[in-house]
Formats: sequence, structure tokens, C-alpha cells
Amino acid sequence: MSSTDTESFRDLQSAATSHRGDRIFNRTITLAAFTALIVLAGITVFLGLQTIPVLQTQGLSFLTTSIWVAPDYGIWGMLYGSVLLAVIALVIAVPVSLLLSVFMVFLAPKGVSKVLTNLVDLMAAIPSVIIGLWAFYILDPVSQEWQQLLNQYLGWIPIFKNTSGNFSGTPFTAGFVLAVMMIPIVTSVTREVLGRTPPELINAAEALGCSLWTMLRYVALPYGRGGLVGGVMLGLGRALGETIAVFFVLKIVFEPVNYYDIIESGGGSIATLIVSKFGEAAGPYEVKLLLAAGFFLFMMTLLVNVIANLIVNRTGRLQK
Amino acid sequence: MSATQTITFDDSRLEELAQQEPQAPWGRRTSTFRAAVIPGVLIPAAIIVGLWFYSDLPKPVLMVAVYLPLQLLAAVGAAIAVRGTKSAADAIIIVLAIGATIFSIVVLVSLLWSIFSKGWEAMSTAFLFQNNEYISPSTPLGWGGVGHAVVGTVLIVAISALIAVPLGVMTAVYVTEVRGRAVPYVRFFVQAMSGVPSVVAGLFIFTVLILSGVLSQSAFAGALAYSILMLPTVARTAEEVLRLVPEDLRTGALALGSTRARVVLRVVIPAAKTGIITAAILGVARVVGETAPLLLTSLKNDRTVLNPFKDPITALPTYIFDNVAQPYPDAVVRAWGAALVLMIIVAILFILTRTLSARGPR
Repeated sequence: MSSTDTESFRDLQSAATSHRGDRIFNRTITLAAFTALIVLAGITVFLGLQTIPVLQTQGLSFLTTSIWVAPDYGIWGMLYGSVLLAVIALVIAVPVSLLLSVFMVFLAPKGVSKVLTNLVDLMAAIPSVIIGLWAFYILDPVSQEWQQLLNQYLGWIPIFKNTSGNFSGTPFTAGFVLAVMMIPIVTSVTREVLGRTPPELINAAEALGCSLWTMLRYVALPYGRGGLVGGVMLGLGRALGETIAVFFVLKIVFEPVNYYDIIESGGGSIATLIVSKFGEAAGPYEVKLLLAAGFFLFMMTLLVNVIANLIVNRTGRLQK
Repeated sequence: MSATQTITFDDSRLEELAQQEPQAPWGRRTSTFRAAVIPGVLIPAAIIVGLWFYSDLPKPVLMVAVYLPLQLLAAVGAAIAVRGTKSAADAIIIVLAIGATIFSIVVLVSLLWSIFSKGWEAMSTAFLFQNNEYISPSTPLGWGGVGHAVVGTVLIVAISALIAVPLGVMTAVYVTEVRGRAVPYVRFFVQAMSGVPSVVAGLFIFTVLILSGVLSQSAFAGALAYSILMLPTVARTAEEVLRLVPEDLRTGALALGSTRARVVLRVVIPAAKTGIITAAILGVARVVGETAPLLLTSLKNDRTVLNPFKDPITALPTYIFDNVAQPYPDAVVRAWGAALVLMIIVAILFILTRTLSARGPR
């Protein structure tokens, strides 16, 4: 809808019968429209208020150390762990999603592509607790076997080193589960972005003798770059905030922080920390600590999401 | 014969040609192409089948380190033989794209198959209708079930829909009908809200209502947390649907002397009725499996609870959560059974949205 359209519509609206009921109606709707802002501000303020006393007692070491033994608390390992898991998930999910959407948009016959679209959407609809259940009973044993092989054949690469022989509860498995949850989210965006490549550009590329690869490389990918990056970041935001699916397959370890041994047991995730400690929280202070952890999780995901949406929106405008 | 001949170019079809579906020469299948593809697929497949039975290498290593490179090599060879060196990159892309598709399908089938095959074991009338009172994780499967959890899920989701659907639709109405000055900001906040992690929604309701003593952990608290997650989905879908309502309907109604409120309530929303129902169902589908907020706001309860304001309550996701990783095999089967029930609910919602949106916005 262009701005001139909106303006002429507004003129028409104000020229139309003005009624007291209309003013009430407009005000109610406007008020309701700000629910989103109120909720976001509410989360920031209320969780922020709980964070202040925590920062007062723990100081900045709440963010820079990794420990959960009274009276010292620090969530660095969890913050880092969330990012590590998200990176593992991205490394798996982004190529798969991109290739899957290339297949759906450019290679598969229409019927197959339609079925695949539905399957991907169905995959996105599977609740995370069910994915967690599947991950715990079906994926984990298989993943342990994969990790043993990774260690056996590629153990000389630092990230695939495992000295303990324990392959359960590793960041690798947790990241893989997150990738399973990210693939449908990212694919549905990348499929749409690639599908919106103007046919005349594809036809022109074809007329110039482009192969599929050169067309992707010089037409489709540059044209949809913003949307692709935005889609990936939306998936990233989801991965950072995911709680339950990770809960069943990751062993939460504060010390030492697992920086890059992705097939070694133990890692961190801030969202999972909250759920796993909440039930057994000893007293109001520990609850406050978890609320503060939630505050930083919220800030992290909000940042990623806002950037993602800015990128997606900007490209949306370019394409108009 | 004239010396110069004018070449006329008929450009009336240019527009049409530009809009044509891409011809995709890389997708065209000639007989030579077929002749190259068949050995390109069969030779690596034959080698891998042979190695599968006669080699000591572990199966995942065989697939990743032997089959994949072999298939890539064969595809590149076939492509070069038929179309020259420039199509080698195409061959790699095509093999990897098909590989990624198969990988995703395998994951999805593994998920669905495990839910159905393992969940089926738990199915019985007792499992569907009884609650968990007097049942411990070690109780045999014949007793106890998810009846109370189904009631809990329905109660919580219904209350959250009552809150989030009107607010979401009103947000969409603001963007498409009122068109106030704040439209870009409202859309921005709705998008930002859609990224709120579910556990944070739970923490927020916990802090505001439960920690402050306004409310105890109950279905209503859970529903409030759910509605935070539901609202952005409803608002964004409803906005898209309202946009599909033709502008003529609005201007026509205004020209006939309708008030603005009446244009929205009597013309625009009825015209987009099906779409708005779809938006509501999508919102419900978004939240129905969320676990983390309920762990903080509605806890669990083995009895069937009908009062949304008073007692803790169990929903399907929290029931699954409680039964996973229990050392008792029967508890684990119960978790799978509850997962199957939840998955059937999700599937019904999924099919509903598909059939409704196939019927169009009206």
C-alpha cells in the first residue's frame, strides 16, 4: 500500500460521517495496537527491576564468571553456551535450508515442491517438547555413534577431540536438535525469498547462457541476500531462546566452560538453565538470579530479532 | 525489390514473455541427459550397496566419506560428458540439494514414525480419559492417562485465545483500517514481540502476577503467558488477511455513509472472516505445545482441574515433560502416548488452516 493511497483513504475517512462512536472505536483500536509495546516494555521493566539487586550483590562477575555455588553466581558459561549451540545449529541448518529451498524453487516439479512445502510447514509445527522427546530417545544414541566416529577419524581437529569417552549431553547433539528445529523456520523464509526472484531476471540469465550455479551465484542469491540473511537471523533468535528441546540432551556444566570441545559432555544454555534450576530454586534469591538470567536472554534475543527484522523489512522495501 | 528492408519487431508480447515462467534449461531432460544420469546414479549406488555388505567401515562413514564423494564425482562426470565443463558446478548443486532434501525428509519421517509407533502402545480408553490421580510413574499402563492434561490444555489455550485473538485482530485493524501515524512502530513492536522466547514470557507473568502475589500458579497464569506468544502470530496473519479485502469495499461503504467503525465491523471483518479464523487457529497452533512457560506459571497437578484461577494444572506438554527421562518404562510410554495425542491436535489444527486458506480470504 503506497503512502498516497493511505493519505487519500484518510481524507476519505475524515470526509465521511464523523461520529462519536468512531472516536471511541479509533481510540480502543489504537490502545489495543500498543499491547505489543506494553508487553515488551513490561518485560524489560519487571525483569530489569529483578536484575538490579542481583547486579548489586554479584557485581559484573554475574556476567563474566561461570559458577553456580552459593554465594557466588555467574552466567558467562550459559551465555557463551547458548551462542555456541546456536552456531553449531547454524552450521548444520543454513546449508541444508538453502539447498532444500533451491531444490524446492528451482529443481523440483511443481507438485513435488508443493508437497515439500507442506512437509516443511508440518515440521515447523511439531512442538519443541516432542522434538526433545525424540532427541532423548531416538537421536541421542545415533548421535553418540556419530560423535565416536568423528572422534575416531577427525579427532586431530581440536573441536572433534574427546578424551573422556563420554558422548552424551554434548553441545553437538544439542546443536543438532536446534538445527532440526531451525531448518523448517529458515527454509520457509529462504524458499519465499528465492521464489520471489523475478522471472524476467531468470529468463535473462538463461538467455545469456547461465547455468543453474551461475544463475544462483549472480542473480538469485544477490537479489534475495537481505531476505536470506534475515531468515537465518530469525532462526538464530529462535535457537537462542529454545528451552525444552535442549533440556533433555544437554548436560548443564558451569565449570569449566566448554569453549570448543563440541563432542565432549557438558555445555551451557541460558534458557535451559532457567527451567532446570527453577523447580529446585532454594529461596527467593535464587529465583531472582534466574529472573536476571532471563533478562539477559531477553535482551540477547531481542537484539538478534530486531536486527533480523530490520534487514528483512529493508529488503522488502527494495523489492517493491 | 526495395534496397532496404525494414525489420519490424512486434513488442506486444514482450510483457507477456517477461512474466513467463522461467524455462530453466538446467531442468530440461533430453535423451542424452537421461543416458548420462542413469549410470551417474546407478554406479555409485551399486558400489555402496556392495560395500554396505562386504566392508568393515561403519555405515555413517560409508555414507559420508564414500557414497557422497562417489555420487558427486559421478554426477560431475556425467554433466561434463553431456554438457561440458561449465555444468560441473550444477551437478554438485543438484546432488547436494537432493541430499539436503532427503536428509530433511528422513528427520521428519523419523520424528513422525517414532511418535506414532511408540505413542500407539499407550493408547487405550483409560489413557485418553482418566487422570493421573493415585498413579505413580511405576504404575502399569492399564491405569491412568492424559484426560486431565487434555482438559488443562483446552482450558489454557481457550483462555489465551480469548485474550490474544481480539487483541491481535485489533492490532491488525489498526494497521490496515485505522492507518494511524504509528503503523510502522506497531508493526515493528509486533515483530519484536514474536521473538520473545517462550521461557521469558513465562518469567514475565511469574514476576508480575505470581511473585507479587496477585495470582497463584494456575491455568489463568499459564494462559496469560501463552497469549504473549500467541498475539504476534494472530496479529501478523490477520494483517495479511485484512490486506486482501478489496479497497473498493471500504470506500464503497464509506461513500454510502457508513461510520468508520461500521465499515470495519460490518464490512471488512465479515469479508475476511475465514482468514481471521485461520489467524486464530495459527495462533493456537503456535502455542499449544509450549512447555517452558507452563513450567513456571501453571506447574502440574495429578487431578483434573476446572477452576482456571485457583489450582496448579497439568497440560499435555507439561505431562510429557514430567514423564520423559523417567527410569520407569511405563512412564516413558505414557510420554510418547501424550506426544501422540498432542501431535494429533497439532495435525488437526494444521489441516484446518490448510483447508481454510485454500478456500481463500472469504
